[in-house]
Amino acid sequence: MNRGLKGLEERVLSQGLCTACGACLSLCPYLRSWQGRVVKLHDCGLEEGRCFVYCPRTEVDLDGICQKEFGQKYEKVEMGPVKNILMARARDPIWRKKAQSGGVVSALIDFALRKKALDAAILTPREADFLPEGRIVRDREDILTCAGSSYVSGPTLEALHKGPWQGEEKIGVVGLPCQAQALTRMRASSLERKTPVDRVGLVIGLFCTWALEYEQFHAFLNKRLGQSHMIKLEITPPPERLLKIHTNGSLHMIPIDEIRPFIRKGCQVCPDMTAELSDISAGTVEGIEGWNTMIIRSDRGEMLFKKAEAEGIVESKPMPEDHLGHLGEASLLKKRKAIEAIQKRGELLQK
Amino acid sequence: MNISQNTPGKVALLMGNEAIARGALEAGVKVCAAYPGNPSSEIIGTLAGVAEELGLHVEWSINEKVALEVAAAASLSGLRGLCAMKQNGLNVASDFLLNLNLTGCRGGLVVVVADDPGGISSSNEEDSRLFAKLGDLPLLEPANFREAKEMTREAFNLSERLNLPVLIRSVTRVSHARGNVTFDELPQSSPKPGFDLSRPSLAFPPMPNHKALHEKFERAKKIFEESPFNFYRGPEKPDLMVITSGSGYMYSLEAVSNLKVEERVGILKLGTTWPLPEEFVLRHLRRSENFLFIEEVDPFLENNVKELFAQNCSDLGVKRFSGKASHTVPDVGELNPEIVTSALQTLLRVDYMPRPEEYRRRADEAIAEQVPPRAHSFCAGCPHRATYWAVKTALALDARDGFVLGDIGCYSLGMGPSGFFQMKTLHAMGSGTGLACGFGQLERFGLEQPVVAVCGDSTFYHAAMPALANAYYNGANFLLLLLDNSATAMTGFQPHPGTGSTATGGMAPIIDLKAICEVLGARVEVVDPFDIEEAVETILRLIRMERGVHPVRNSSETLNHAEEQGGIISNGVKVLILRRECALVSGKHQRKLFRIEVDQGRCLGEACGCNRLCTRIFKCPGLVWDQSTGKARIDEAICNGCGVCAGICPATAIRKEAVSGGDVVS
Repeated sequence: MNRGLKGLEERVLSQGLCTACGACLSLCPYLRSWQGRVVKLHDCGLEEGRCFVYCPRTEVDLDGICQKEFGQKYEKVEMGPVKNILMARARDPIWRKKAQSGGVVSALIDFALRKKALDAAILTPREADFLPEGRIVRDREDILTCAGSSYVSGPTLEALHKGPWQGEEKIGVVGLPCQAQALTRMRASSLERKTPVDRVGLVIGLFCTWALEYEQFHAFLNKRLGQSHMIKLEITPPPERLLKIHTNGSLHMIPIDEIRPFIRKGCQVCPDMTAELSDISAGTVEGIEGWNTMIIRSDRGEMLFKKAEAEGIVESKPMPEDHLGHLGEASLLKKRKAIEAIQKRGELLQK
Repeated sequence: MNISQNTPGKVALLMGNEAIARGALEAGVKVCAAYPGNPSSEIIGTLAGVAEELGLHVEWSINEKVALEVAAAASLSGLRGLCAMKQNGLNVASDFLLNLNLTGCRGGLVVVVADDPGGISSSNEEDSRLFAKLGDLPLLEPANFREAKEMTREAFNLSERLNLPVLIRSVTRVSHARGNVTFDELPQSSPKPGFDLSRPSLAFPPMPNHKALHEKFERAKKIFEESPFNFYRGPEKPDLMVITSGSGYMYSLEAVSNLKVEERVGILKLGTTWPLPEEFVLRHLRRSENFLFIEEVDPFLENNVKELFAQNCSDLGVKRFSGKASHTVPDVGELNPEIVTSALQTLLRVDYMPRPEEYRRRADEAIAEQVPPRAHSFCAGCPHRATYWAVKTALALDARDGFVLGDIGCYSLGMGPSGFFQMKTLHAMGSGTGLACGFGQLERFGLEQPVVAVCGDSTFYHAAMPALANAYYNGANFLLLLLDNSATAMTGFQPHPGTGSTATGGMAPIIDLKAICEVLGARVEVVDPFDIEEAVETILRLIRMERGVHPVRNSSETLNHAEEQGGIISNGVKVLILRRECALVSGKHQRKLFRIEVDQGRCLGEACGCNRLCTRIFKCPGLVWDQSTGKARIDEAICNGCGVCAGICPATAIRKEAVSGGDVVS
């Protein structure tokens, strides 16, 4: 079996399973992204390559990876390695206003940069065209350009390979579950590498039920909104489930079912809602506005969060029991759906 | 070779095409016109070189039809005119030619068509002789350089005797072979041109003109009965008679000599192949029972002689004809002495070993060892390679299976590895753009693929301008990539209306490609193909433009409305001019732009992250894969210093350093 670009093309790209995480980009001249899509330009001819090995949609030894990253095997629990689950928010309202929910992710990155725990972080800009890509940020102003969700996935991780880096930086990454997984694969890979993945000192994963295809989704939005400038997107919790789009001057509401056709096929087979392979995971808290659900997973995640809390950057409180239950159910639901989708694909492939 | 000397008796070594040019000069030609095309290009090229000295008008015309019209005008005014072209060119010129045959002409008018058997430098393989039959026009076929000169001179006389244009059909090996040619006198006087108002040149009404043509045709037959270009050599009653014309004659001579069958085989060599000198041919058909036809491309002689035989078979009795119809001779591809020898062997049942088995084996080994395999490829530094790289990248990123419609020119190599297999159609000059006019209408039936055409600058003037006008008029939606390398590069860098110079080296006004395309209604942009990223972005932007309502220019309301919807509007046809001078042309007046070097330490070689992108995919011949070091390096002798490879190297191992000391070589 080819474990290079040919394999990636056959098993991921041509199957529509690519999530455009960016892990395979800027490693070689054969793959490139455009409008949120990963495109193969030429045949590379190698039997094994980093593109295949780093891809979160190819086979993975989860036990091996978890042993290495968290010092334990992958437990078949509902949401990966967990040290603590709580709800939190940034104290500074600047984060809560621009960012999603409690603004904790932006505030933590800002804190880590100011404290020199990180020299740079890779985030995803949320600007004019909402075209996702990786951006290397070094200060608060940069972070603000990246705060908020776009609900589309894009090649954020490409920035890790592309740089530019000075060579010594400690790097933080904020990404989706697939991106957090790709980073652990990069670290675990034995292939010769010239990527700065070993300098990634913090991964904050974002909860994700699915991501949208950029091109189709934005063609749809352009049609619906014309050229009005979008400021913020959010999806309200069930049973309402509306996409709320804040533009300059007005608020548009679109039922979620109308945008479901733009969900990436690759997301249907993803079992990870809570970004299980990150140091800290963050999501919303259902029914409680202005707060984040935080899952503290690793020692270094725990250390950063505690420091930030001690210095008054974030505040936290325990997660109500019933919310914890819902979180587990939602995470398991995604796993169940993914398994069903995988089985269905298997049947389709056999036919 | 200077063909302008008036030195009768002088023996000169001439290429067949030069001999044709000399023949025209000896006939007192005044006006010569052509569109370049191999293997005909040197005829006008040579005449252009002596035009000023001898006071001729020589021009590279915009296409073959116009060239023939230019030469015909000389004839209609009483001067002698010559028009040269390749076989495809006659297709273009044929519309005029097949009307001119009805009107006839005055001063000698000779149309030289150089066929390319095997299509070595052509899009097609075609036998232009069929046009002589189609138009009832006299046809001469020179067998060698000497005849090339003699026949050309005589063709002018014949044309004036018959008041008809005369066709001369050459082939690659006659046009491009060299041999000794003896000069005759150059005429010193010429008539004063004038259009005779009492002799209008009107093809209408066709029927009486057609009748008059047939009468001229009968006269031509009679003249050909006495032609010195037709002769027989061989025994009185040969076992087998080869009937041949053109280069076939030389191959037949060699084959007969190889097999040492001079006592058994005769050769009937015909130089005037249409109309056939019937009495002459019938006389020789009586000599033998067995005949073999040796001629390039189609069974033209073969069928015509068989027709003649059928008409006279009751007198002639049973004959056996071999040739293309009997599969004794291949029905496609170029002939050579080996093919003719093998045909004779089969028919005569004689043994012949062209070379000993041991010699053959050693020769094959030597070839395998010492002759490096070399694919058809763009030259080092060719802008087309960069263009196709950008096209491939853009169409891949766009991901809607966009496809490229092409035509004939250097850029036809875009169909192969050198152009990354991007060009998907190849037919006549300008046909990519014409096909795009059609593909560009298929959206309404559900075609979702972007339509892209490519066309060279010279080809654009030749045949694509009408297609572009059609595109705008009928609202076809496509992107035309105009590959402007400022030369007719494939045929030898002849100037064209965009270059600012004429065939004879004089200054000419430049017809601006961009302005023409804009006037023809296209949205036009210009990029430098060496700026690959800009080219990629521009192609993507242009193929993703939303189609506007046609015609937008008369409907500002529609345009505004569409712009409000967020789309950039085009009425359909877009032109991207990729402008960069042909590397071989710029090499003549410029130093290399850059000195290129591969940093051996940085080169990734076959590692993940590269795997020889430059030598395996990009494939510029200036880059060499060094097996021993596992790295790429530059072949200094071949590299033209364009610097494009530095931009595609993923490891920035290929470095370009601007060459100082100015660009222009004095």
